[in-house]
Amino acid sequence: MLNTSYVGRSLPTTAPAVITAESVTRFARALGMSDTDAVPPTYLISLTLPAADPLIEDPDFGLDFSKVLHREQRFAYHRELRAGDRVSCTVTVESIKTVSGNDLLALRTDVTDEEGLAAEVWTTLFVAGGEA
Amino acid sequence: MSVFAGLSAGDVVFTTEFTVDRADLTAYAEASGDHNPIHLDEAAAKAAGLPNVIAHGMYTMGLVSRAVLEWAAEAELDASLGAFSARFAKPVVVPADSGAVVEMEAKVRKVDADSLELAIAVLSGGDKVLAPARATLTAN
Repeated sequence: MLNTSYVGRSLPTTAPAVITAESVTRFARALGMSDTDAVPPTYLISLTLPAADPLIEDPDFGLDFSKVLHREQRFAYHRELRAGDRVSCTVTVESIKTVSGNDLLALRTDVTDEEGLAAEVWTTLFVAGGEA
Repeated sequence: MSVFAGLSAGDVVFTTEFTVDRADLTAYAEASGDHNPIHLDEAAAKAAGLPNVIAHGMYTMGLVSRAVLEWAAEAELDASLGAFSARFAKPVVVPADSGAVVEMEAKVRKVDADSLELAIAVLSGGDKVLAPARATLTAN
């Protein structure tokens, strides 16, 4: 079971990191997309999931990643991001719902560039309940 | 005139299909950093209670984004993707020998002068794998 006292908490904002052209090219090619400098719509997941690592690794939160399935994913894009842009991620625990002994963990990650909020990324994870 | 003129709710705007094989999943794991073995290794997938290796949900969602953007480019829509969502209802099972086929049908869900919302039904092996995906294009 997850520690529900984390609901509403945000992780510290990640240090600004450059979106490298190489990572954008590799992601676009993996999906068979034409490679431009524009960041593919789902590329942001490769930034937002690592940004949640401190939560996954926090023993007090109680998340066993081997029991996790990706349930829902949503993106809102406020500006087009391109290779070379510098972005930071802020992960917030939006909600934890327990259904039949399993948890649904909803995370929101704000992706910001120098001008402010560039995208919002919502990820809902299904966390299977323990053997108990 | 609206960039979305001529489109009405219920219109099917594209159908397409993609084949997915294990090498695609290996490339996606490298590109995305998601190295969960259920997407790469048959024994790990079966140990997790799955029938076989499954595609990353985000890989399937990525293919949907590709289909939407390719359609918008072909239709010469002066519009950008504003919102994109999906629920992962069933896995896309990818056997080593045959791979998998992912079929998509995109319909107009809502349209006005400034935005177009598509609902994209996505099937693999007869199952609805996304339930459904939605993409909103906003006029530039």
